[in-house]
Amino acid sequence: MVNKRKKAVQYILMALITILVVFPFVWMLVLSFKSNSEILSSPLSLPKTFNFDNYRHAMETLNFPRLYGNTIFVCVISLAAELVITFFSSFVLARMEFKNEKFRKLLYGFLIMGLSISPFILLFPVYKINVFFGLRGKLALIFPYIATSISFNTLLLVGYLKSLPTEIDEAAVIDGCNIWDLMIRVILPMTKPVIATVVIFNVLYIWNEFPFASVMLREASDYTLSMGASFFKGTYTVDYGGIVASSVMIIIPELIFYGIFQKNIVEGMTAGAVKG
Amino acid sequence: MPGESPVPGSIIFKKKLRKRHKKDGLIFMHWLSKKKYKIGLMVPTLLVYSIFIILPVIIAVRYSFTKYSGIGQAKFTGLKNYARLFQDKIFWISFKNTMVMFVLAFVLLLTLSFAIALLLNNRLKAVDFSKALIFSPAIIAPIIVGIIWVYILDPNIGIINNVLDAIGAGGLKAKWIGGDKLSPYSIAIIYFWQQLGYLVTIFIAGLKMIPGDVLEAVKIDGASTVQEIRYVIIPMMRTTISTVAVLIITGVFKIFEIVQQTTGGGPNHLSETLVTYSYSMTFSSSDYGYGMSLATVTFLLSLLITAVYSTVTKEREG
Repeated sequence: MVNKRKKAVQYILMALITILVVFPFVWMLVLSFKSNSEILSSPLSLPKTFNFDNYRHAMETLNFPRLYGNTIFVCVISLAAELVITFFSSFVLARMEFKNEKFRKLLYGFLIMGLSISPFILLFPVYKINVFFGLRGKLALIFPYIATSISFNTLLLVGYLKSLPTEIDEAAVIDGCNIWDLMIRVILPMTKPVIATVVIFNVLYIWNEFPFASVMLREASDYTLSMGASFFKGTYTVDYGGIVASSVMIIIPELIFYGIFQKNIVEGMTAGAVKG
Repeated sequence: MPGESPVPGSIIFKKKLRKRHKKDGLIFMHWLSKKKYKIGLMVPTLLVYSIFIILPVIIAVRYSFTKYSGIGQAKFTGLKNYARLFQDKIFWISFKNTMVMFVLAFVLLLTLSFAIALLLNNRLKAVDFSKALIFSPAIIAPIIVGIIWVYILDPNIGIINNVLDAIGAGGLKAKWIGGDKLSPYSIAIIYFWQQLGYLVTIFIAGLKMIPGDVLEAVKIDGASTVQEIRYVIIPMMRTTISTVAVLIITGVFKIFEIVQQTTGGGPNHLSETLVTYSYSMTFSSSDYGYGMSLATVTFLLSLLITAVYSTVTKEREG
């Protein structure tokens, strides 16, 4: 009896917490079908009809294909570059021989240190550095995104690469592998699971990133998704319906992506915390 | 048999080989660990990291000792910016707001995410579905999180005030955002919503690492649930708890988009946080030197709180 009652309480609590967390999303969806004047005059009412005006207006105001295109462009280039360079450097730190062990630890500590550096202290100096190198628009985002990923990637990749047995290297060397064959044809395929984690973590970071984007992007044609979301507010301060609709259009693909890769995403996002 | 050499491929052979590795290190890797390979493979990462992470910190600290409006040369002014900071009312307002958010988020998130993790660690139907939904706010852009909550907290069109009106509790209506008092509390709640599922997941991962037989033994010994949590689970979860605590500390000092979207730091800078104030000084007022001194202080403060937290918890562990 007592156990049954306990279970019932647990179910009720679970349902309650879940509903409370999900409610803001649902509310957003409801609002997106209400006209602007409905939102202003009777905020609590449900939409009378499914009114897609807000979505039409959002599409007219924001160039969604372009926003998605820019975001994907920055995402793909940053990810490709960061994966190549951090895989190589982590391989060195995890598997190569150092005459001086302290030097290896020093290098590793140096690269991990970035985890405690807040991006907000970097914004203005990085802007100046980009200007110095002549990097503008979308291109100005790529190096900061690569750089901010290095500490996390190093933490996960070095940890994983260290766990692979050294016999692999020996067998590969005996079979006549050189350093490239060993890294790319032998070790890289074995690193897939952790690379998946790294990719997911960084895709989400870049997809959602706002502070760097708001400093580096001046032209609307360069805007990424998060900038698009804020841009809408800036120009149409009173168009609540349009803001909601454009936010829904940005969230839905993210939630679908989350629905499909839920396990990997949760793992990717918590991996750093659980292992570090 | 003693003296007999082990057959290659046998378990004893492999064990011996492994022992030798431990002694000699990576003997085979030695051939491939040429200096030019190591340098070549390390340099790209080190270069990008140094230019876009380390150098900017140095530049920021250097600017913090100057007056610079973006035109011409930065003028060295010594500690003037830091002296100004101590007399700057808005700095103290942002400091206070950040601390309010920090304390509230810290207490709420640490206790409730732990409690919810304990709840969701039970064998319940649909628990995975519930976990997935609770996690979902963590994956969407913080800028959208801010937008969503405008429609809940806004004094006029937000759902809270309108519901209060509808149920005849209009007296409880308040300026949850945009007023002069409640914004930091509201922002802490929004942050709580965003982070809850993420931290619950980390706690559940920690709970799963407690060996099952330990918990079984506790049950057999007749401990109550409260005793079990107090004397077994919490002590065994020390590392996870500190991880979560550090995540909250560093996280609170990165709350930015939520403030920008809900209040923009206003009215009259009353809801500014350290991060948004330094951002607005740097990029809206073009007072780069002062903005960088604010950024430096914010950065040092978050490091300091993390350090204090780690030493205090370490001491308690003895």
